[in-house]
Amino acid sequence: MGAWRHFPIFMITVPLLGAVLLPFLGYVRERWVPYAALLPLGTSTLLGILLIGRIPSDGYLSYHMGGWEPPFGIEIRLDYVGLFLMLVVCGITFLALVYSRHYIEKEVSGGRRTAYYVLYLLMSGAMLGFVATGDIFNLFVFMEILALSSYALVAITGNRNAVRAAFKYILMGAPSSIMVLLAIGFLYSVTGTLNMADLAGRIAESGYTEVLIVSYILLVVGFGVKAALFPLHMWLPDAHSIAPSPISALLSGLLVEVCAFALVRITFSIFTLRASDLVMGTADAVGVAAAAAVLYGGIMAILQKDLKMMIAYSTVSHIGYIFLGLTAFTAEGLTGAMYHMLDHGLAKACLFLCAGNFIYLKGYRRIEDLKGAWSQMPWTCFAFALASLSVIGIPPTAGFISKWYLILGNVEGGKWLYAAVLLAGSILAAVYCLRVLYYMFFQAGKEGAWEEYWHDAPPAMLAPVWALSLATLFFGVFSSLLIPSLLKAATYLL
Amino acid sequence: MRLLHNYHYAAAMILFCLGLYTVIVRRNIIKKLIGLNIMETSVFFFYISLGYLDGGIAPIRTGGADPSRMVNPIPQALILTGIVVAVSVTALALSMVILLYRQYGTLDVDRLMREEEPEAAESGKGD
Repeated sequence: MGAWRHFPIFMITVPLLGAVLLPFLGYVRERWVPYAALLPLGTSTLLGILLIGRIPSDGYLSYHMGGWEPPFGIEIRLDYVGLFLMLVVCGITFLALVYSRHYIEKEVSGGRRTAYYVLYLLMSGAMLGFVATGDIFNLFVFMEILALSSYALVAITGNRNAVRAAFKYILMGAPSSIMVLLAIGFLYSVTGTLNMADLAGRIAESGYTEVLIVSYILLVVGFGVKAALFPLHMWLPDAHSIAPSPISALLSGLLVEVCAFALVRITFSIFTLRASDLVMGTADAVGVAAAAAVLYGGIMAILQKDLKMMIAYSTVSHIGYIFLGLTAFTAEGLTGAMYHMLDHGLAKACLFLCAGNFIYLKGYRRIEDLKGAWSQMPWTCFAFALASLSVIGIPPTAGFISKWYLILGNVEGGKWLYAAVLLAGSILAAVYCLRVLYYMFFQAGKEGAWEEYWHDAPPAMLAPVWALSLATLFFGVFSSLLIPSLLKAATYLL
Repeated sequence: MRLLHNYHYAAAMILFCLGLYTVIVRRNIIKKLIGLNIMETSVFFFYISLGYLDGGIAPIRTGGADPSRMVNPIPQALILTGIVVAVSVTALALSMVILLYRQYGTLDVDRLMREEEPEAAESGKGD
């Protein structure tokens, strides 16, 4: 039977519904909330896994909300790349939620804990919807749910720096949302439709007018802020480093990527004419910004003394990677960008969770304090090392595969300079990652910095970290599982 | 003549730019938020004017009403969602302003950002 046809919508609504029901449970039995929150995300993951193989590799699954036909009703459109990203979102949110319980008990004061889980589920559900929706106004609504819950989650500890970082985030995020809303208004005013596929058809019919150019630029700027593309990244380092670690992992590992993906969909499935001056002209500008991001993020990461700050700047650099893959406009570049979303999501989430382990156990945030950490927290340190290798792009890890395709794509597109920038970015990554590893493994700790007895984080915090770091290894070794279908999907998009 | 005909669009864009200017230039957080709301309102205004029809009627097809005189309901429905979103953003931002004021004793953005920068890396654990 065709029950699986309803799975995409259930994947989105189950976490959102969970977010609605959780406060009631929190009122009755607060202790159960962390466990109950796992249920909706687990269900979504399961449904996503059941959907594998159901989607035609060169097409998409279309779900009509309430049975209304697409141009009139809201459509959920799930192609192979979309499902891939939804599974990445499900997996990482699930693991970070497993991680959250101990961390939140320590960092967040009593009354706010239920709120944390509610916002967490809202954010996960919104991310899933954001990836899957085929309606551009729905895209905006999901983006706002995502943005609002992430503003609140950054500030959830309520201390000085957290509130300040969150406010900075709002000051940049809210105007960018309004720009997106305005751009959608422009699109609607000239085409009279909100469905993405329908929009693409009508734009191809009418050709490019000034209104469309303005709306495209507004969309690029709006999503550029959300995805923290280089000159618009100001909010990112503070927000990502000061948020509680599981949230940092989600913001850095997923949110920016999902927003970059939205821009991909807008570029490739709405403004489809890839040869037009509009898209290409903007792509050139975005390419320059992305190249600057790779170098700037890398250099700033080297200069940081704070571990989480360093990882956050590394994200700025990696967003540059993703955008450079997209602006190459070749199948390899696009594949590299998609694979980098997966690999960066896993590795960055792992790094932030490891940093969370150090903060949880010792309260150490500075890189210098990690001297000799290996002797006391070997599990965390090895997971950190593995994820670092992926960030640098050393062969057996997924980072190598994605960087390989990114560079290949740029070379094939004739963009040698960008390929060089990508390589330089890897060297910068090696500098900032290896410095931390050097401190961890080869330096003696300060007297009394680490207690004598041997201890590491509790299993519920180590398991997600190891799952993530082993996943980077797995997707590096078995990249042939995904690469061919991603290449096919990329050629289909182009 | 086209501008004269589409004066409402021009008004919306002027409001939008004024709002953005306020958000960027003003140092007081409350004024920034007011600018944000002006931006939002300009977008609402733009949407509503899309669906507006002089002497239009409600889009209900009973009794042989003339479809060409019906107001387009979609922008209104959309912007209702937009207003809800805007209200939530404003409410969240204002609640954070209260927290900020309690902890820093100032609403001046420059002072807020300057005051903390050197020790931002240090603290964060605890407090």
